[in-house]
Amino acid sequence: MRGAGVSAGATGVRVEGLSKRFHHRVKGDVWAVRGVSLSVQPGEFLTLLGPSGCGKTTTLRMIAGFESPDEGRVWIGDRDVTALMANRRDIGFVFQSYALFPHLTVFDNVAYGLRIRGVERGEAARRVSEVLAMVGLERYEGQQPHQLSGGEQQRVALARAIVIRPRVLLFDEPLSNLDAKLRVQMRDEIRRLQKELSITAVYVTHDQEEAMAVSDRIAVMNHGVVAQEGRAEDLYHRPASAFVAQFIGRVNLLRGRVVERGDGVVVVEAAGARVRVAAGTAPPVGQVVRLAIRPEAVDIGPDAPGTAGGIGGRVVARTFLGEKVDYQVRAGDDLLLVTRPDPGPGALLAEGGAVRLRLAADRVALLPATE
Amino acid sequence: MARPAGPRAAGAGRDPALRVTVALLWALLALFVLYPLVSLLARVFVDGGRMAPGAALAVLGDTNQLRAFGNSLLLAMLVGLAGTALGFLFALTATRAGLGRGWLAAIDAVILLPLISPPFTTAIAMIFSFGPRGLITYQLLGIKGFPVYGMGTTFFSETLTYFPIAYLTLRPVLAAIDANVEDMALSLGASRGQVFRTVTVPLAIPGLANAFLLLFAASLADFATPLILAGNSFPVLPTQAYLQITGLFDLRGGAVLSFALLVPAFGVYLLQRYWVSRRYYVTVSGKAGARTSVKTVAPWLRPILVTGCAAVAITIAYFYALLLYASLVVALGANHAWTWRHYHVIFTDGARAIRDTLIIAGLSMPLGGFYGVLVGYLVARKRFAGRQAMEVVSMLNYALPGTIVGIAYLIAFNDPPIALTGGALIIVACYVFRYSPTGIRATIAQLQQIDPSIEEASLGLGASTATTFRRVTLPLIVPAFFAGLGVVFIRSMTAISATIFLVSINWTLITVRILENMTELALGPAAAFSVLVVAIVYVVIAAISRLLRSFHAPGSASLGSVLGG
Repeated sequence: MRGAGVSAGATGVRVEGLSKRFHHRVKGDVWAVRGVSLSVQPGEFLTLLGPSGCGKTTTLRMIAGFESPDEGRVWIGDRDVTALMANRRDIGFVFQSYALFPHLTVFDNVAYGLRIRGVERGEAARRVSEVLAMVGLERYEGQQPHQLSGGEQQRVALARAIVIRPRVLLFDEPLSNLDAKLRVQMRDEIRRLQKELSITAVYVTHDQEEAMAVSDRIAVMNHGVVAQEGRAEDLYHRPASAFVAQFIGRVNLLRGRVVERGDGVVVVEAAGARVRVAAGTAPPVGQVVRLAIRPEAVDIGPDAPGTAGGIGGRVVARTFLGEKVDYQVRAGDDLLLVTRPDPGPGALLAEGGAVRLRLAADRVALLPATE
Repeated sequence: MARPAGPRAAGAGRDPALRVTVALLWALLALFVLYPLVSLLARVFVDGGRMAPGAALAVLGDTNQLRAFGNSLLLAMLVGLAGTALGFLFALTATRAGLGRGWLAAIDAVILLPLISPPFTTAIAMIFSFGPRGLITYQLLGIKGFPVYGMGTTFFSETLTYFPIAYLTLRPVLAAIDANVEDMALSLGASRGQVFRTVTVPLAIPGLANAFLLLFAASLADFATPLILAGNSFPVLPTQAYLQITGLFDLRGGAVLSFALLVPAFGVYLLQRYWVSRRYYVTVSGKAGARTSVKTVAPWLRPILVTGCAAVAITIAYFYALLLYASLVVALGANHAWTWRHYHVIFTDGARAIRDTLIIAGLSMPLGGFYGVLVGYLVARKRFAGRQAMEVVSMLNYALPGTIVGIAYLIAFNDPPIALTGGALIIVACYVFRYSPTGIRATIAQLQQIDPSIEEASLGLGASTATTFRRVTLPLIVPAFFAGLGVVFIRSMTAISATIFLVSINWTLITVRILENMTELALGPAAAFSVLVVAIVYVVIAAISRLLRSFHAPGSASLGSVLGG
């Protein structure tokens, strides 16, 4: 670890029981955030993921100090910063709109925080060049913000946030104004820098792929509360609710009824078949439940005579996507999406053909019937 | 600058109707903008068919006139600085102090008063308060011979009269500063004061410069306030030019003096057009981030800002209340018995002036409104030779001080071939070509915000060009039309600097009568006339604003905002 922007020992972030009310002209007082508690380890990258209006940005802005919570507390490191203004919290913030100072050059934008901190001129110039090099903007010092492309502006914003060696980096949908290709490139860059500098980061996005790509851990938010928190693969394979299952990736939700319970396994009758599901705490027999099944977790094959077990169905539609193929399969009253890797020339299943679907017990998640 | 775009930016050559319209407009601009100006210059520099700038220099060499020139510049500078500071205070309070809608509306209502009144209304109220029989100096404090005439009071009065222009200029500038940018500075460790110094003020500098230039120009051109308040000890150019013409019947001397005014006025115009307009910082990003509250004004600062604004607003409100009171008592300062006498006087003796003013305003309003939309539409959406020149020329009479325009008209239209003085037409023409540029600008601004693809969509759906204009373009620029209409009406009711040279025995104006009343010390009728003008204008403005609100066109200009400059 050398050079610019290396944080002096990473610090964690903790929020507890954070709540924020807003006044809405029609609905009256609404809770944008309700009792959110989160803990970010030093050097960890946590993403707040959720649809618009879920409270993720408000939570982030309360961590930054741009909004003050109605209830709850914010800690950065072991310091309670709830009552501090943003300028006393030692944070780096990256806005969706970049929020570059339009009247300052790239150099002066990046140097702003150093000047405020009274960093000596030569030292400041050295650190600015160093971070500009880190984000690939050498020789851009003299440019005005409006002369830069969106991606370049966001790099300047990033450089400006890290040059002050903040204790925590906060991102508010930093890539939403960029085009798809640049988004992928920038998110990798953000992740690389964050790891290199081992800065604690809290990142807000509504894009689940982006969240999975950059984060150590994801907190999925909905209606102002944290719906589920965990590593990307845990959220994907073990969603705690239909909302999380649907928000992250594609999923089939099947309604069914428990017909048998065994040791760590229940049998659910769904889609006109008996499906074995691995379950820690098994619901009682007769209970109505929902099954969450990822499209790629389903094995599909032609329903040749003599095959039995699994779920019988018929291919309603087929979409060839190159590396993979999507099948829509009608099974009983349900319509299931099944996705398989491209099987090679001439091996696609025909539309209208009878098929049989097979599921591994540990690739099906058991969800309550209602939420 | 307006850029022609879209399907209607067709060449003039292919459109005979456009060609005729453009030719007609050029003829009118030549007659009512260029010809008077050339006549004025000719009168200044040509004598007996020969170039003779010596005579002009002789008038300017006069120490008294030189002093007037210096005084004018000094006054304009001070009014520019003080008015910009006051306007900034109000704009800051309106955008950053977190006031409720009700308070903002109250501030706007009071601030609107000077904008819709004759420019000398504050001056009259100053005389009522601080004059020989002034309510405050004489009645309240018992001071005799308070020096109400002079530079100090003129400065005070002009600042109160014109600072709303600075407010209207600066408020959108401050409101447009992305709150995220200030948040960003805060997150980088800057204190509120540092954010204000390093972000807010630098971003407002083009607006501040613009406000200063507008006020500088307004003060430079102001003729009525110094006429009432400046007195003999503080001569300024516009009044000197007026006195030269009406007192000494020296048209040439007046022309020379007004020409001296033209030089700084033109400088201001150039600065605005080529310096300020290029320095506005456009929002760099497309989409603004999350809505955020502005935090750069510390909680303890708020009451100070609000108190400052309230003090100014109360002063203005007091002045207007005093005017109303003066119009309802026998003689302010001497006999405070209630009476309708002054209103009786203005509706009998003054009925002619009221009738003439309403006729002239009533004629100027639709003509000016239509002319403004037409020029604005052509400049913004059509391509023809001399398009930019037309835009510049159409703004000239508006940018020039009224005294120059008035004297130029007087010189140009006093004698054949085109003798118009003495009639109503010359006054109407003066108003139309002097006050329509607001409508032109509003139309251009409106059209620039309307994506030409909207018109293309209409064409694509099979509508003809004419139908598209009638069904799509016209409804979209209707707000600009009404805004332009409103401004022409307000100015026609309240202006004086140009038209005081153009009134006659046959056609006179309320504002001219008010000045006459002031010089005859008939203060009661002057107050009653002023109240009447403000009342009429207020009613018309309220009606037009209501109309404007019923059009929900995007970015439609509010009447208040276009009054600014």
